[in-house]
Amino acid sequence: MNPFANPLKNAAALCRGEKQLLTAWIEGSHRGSIPFCIALITLGCCSYGFTIGLRHGSEMAFYVALKLPFIIFLTLFLNGMLNAMLSLTLGSGIGFRKSLQFLLTGFAIMSIILGALSPISFFATLNMPEPGALGDATWHSANLLLHTSLIAYAGILAHSRLLHYVRDFADSPSAGTHTFLAWLIGNLFVGAQISWILRPYFVSPGLEVEFLRVDPFDGNFYEAVFRAIRNVTNF
Amino acid sequence: MTKEIQSDTYTPPPVLSNSPKHDLNKGYEPLEGGCTLPNLINKLLKKPLSIIHELEMKKNAGKITCLLLLIATVSFSVFGVIVGTFSWDNQIWAAPLKIVCGLLFSGVICLPSLYIFTCMGGLDAKFSTVSGMLCALIALSGLLLVGFAPVVWLFSVSSTSATFLGFLLIVLWLICACFGLSLVFRSGHALGMTNTGHFAVWCLIFLLVTLQMTTTLRPIIGSEEKLVNFEEKKFFLSYWSEQVMQER
Repeated sequence: MNPFANPLKNAAALCRGEKQLLTAWIEGSHRGSIPFCIALITLGCCSYGFTIGLRHGSEMAFYVALKLPFIIFLTLFLNGMLNAMLSLTLGSGIGFRKSLQFLLTGFAIMSIILGALSPISFFATLNMPEPGALGDATWHSANLLLHTSLIAYAGILAHSRLLHYVRDFADSPSAGTHTFLAWLIGNLFVGAQISWILRPYFVSPGLEVEFLRVDPFDGNFYEAVFRAIRNVTNF
Repeated sequence: MTKEIQSDTYTPPPVLSNSPKHDLNKGYEPLEGGCTLPNLINKLLKKPLSIIHELEMKKNAGKITCLLLLIATVSFSVFGVIVGTFSWDNQIWAAPLKIVCGLLFSGVICLPSLYIFTCMGGLDAKFSTVSGMLCALIALSGLLLVGFAPVVWLFSVSSTSATFLGFLLIVLWLICACFGLSLVFRSGHALGMTNTGHFAVWCLIFLLVTLQMTTTLRPIIGSEEKLVNFEEKKFFLSYWSEQVMQER
C-alpha cells in the first residue's frame, strides 16, 4: 500500500511507533516508503527552516528552508555506504537499503516534530525585535538558544525511537545498539562539518544576509571549536 | 468458578488499547442528554470525558466542536468585557476581542504539535478528536474564567493598579488552564496514551504561547494611545518586570 495514499495517518503511525508499519517498510512490502520519508523530511525541515531565517527577512527564510533538509540528505548521501558497511560489520544484519530506510525514518520523525513546532517557532519569531534594534545581541542569543533547544529536543526524541527500532530489527539487541551508536557518531561527525560549510542559519549582529559565507570551505567545524576553546581558556 | 464467570461477563471499553488507571477514565462513557448547548456546558463541568467519548465515536463530531468553540468564544467575551471595565473606553470591546482572538490563534498554532506529541505518547485518535480535545480545553478554561468574573469585576472597579490586576488575571488564567490541561491529560489516558512526558512538554509550550500572546496584544488592561503595539516587541517576562518597575 502506498504511504502517500494516507499521508497524515501514516505520519501519525510513524510517531506512535507502530511496528507493523515499520516492518512493512523495512521488509520492502510497502512501496514508496523511501520517497514518503524524503517528502516528510523536505516538508518538515523546510517549514521549520523558514521560521529560523524569518527574523532576517524572507530572503534568509528561503535560504535556511533550502539548507536544512539539504544537510540531512547530504549527510546520508556521504555516509550511506559507511553506514551500511558498519551495520553489517557490527553484526546487525542490516544492509544498505534497510540502513537507509532506518535513517530516513528517524529523520522523518524528527522532521514531523519540527514541522509541528514550526507554527510556534513562527509566532516566537514574529515576537522578536527586528535585527539592529536595541538589545540585538541578546535577542540573537535567545533566538539561537530557542532553535538549538527545539532541534535538539526533536532530534533526541526521534533518535531514541530509532534506537528502539534498530534494536528490535537487528540480529541481536546489542548489535543493534552498537550499529545505532556507529551511525550516530558518523552522522554527527559529518553532519557537523556539512552544517559548518552551509552556514549561516542565524545572521550574527553586524553581518550581512548571505546564502553561504565567503570561502565556505576555508576551515572546518572542529578547528572553529578548538579555537573557541582556546579563546575561552586562554590556552 | 467465580473468576470464570467474571471473565465471561466483563466487557472492556471499546477503544482502549492499554489499561490506564480506572480513576483517570472515570466518566469516559456515552454522552447523555443529547448534543445541545446547555447539555454540553453541563457535561463539560461534570463529565467532560463523555464529550471526548462522543468525539471519538464520531457521532456529531463537527457539531460538538462548533458548540465547544461557541462556548469558548462567548465565555471569553464575557470575561473580556469584565476585564475591560477597569479602563472602560475602547477596552470594553477591545479587551474581549483581543482575548478571544489571542486564545483561538494560540490554539490554532499549538494544534499541530498537540497532535504529533500525543501520537508520540502512543495516542491512537483521529485528528478531529484531538482538535475537539483542544476545543474542550479552551471551552472549559473559559467557563471557569466566567466563574471568576465576579471576583475580577470586584478588583477591576476597586483597583487603580493595572499591574496588580494583570498579575491577578494571569494567575486566574493559569489556574483555569490547568483544569483544561488536566482534561486533555485524562482524555489522552482514556484514549490509550501511555507516555505523558511529551504531552507535559506541550502543556508548557501552550502556556508560554498564551502568556506571550498577552504581551503581543497589549494593552489588554489600561489604556494607551495605540490599540495594539506590534512595533515594539517584547518578551512577556521582560515586559512584566518593566511594568513592576514602573509601578514602584
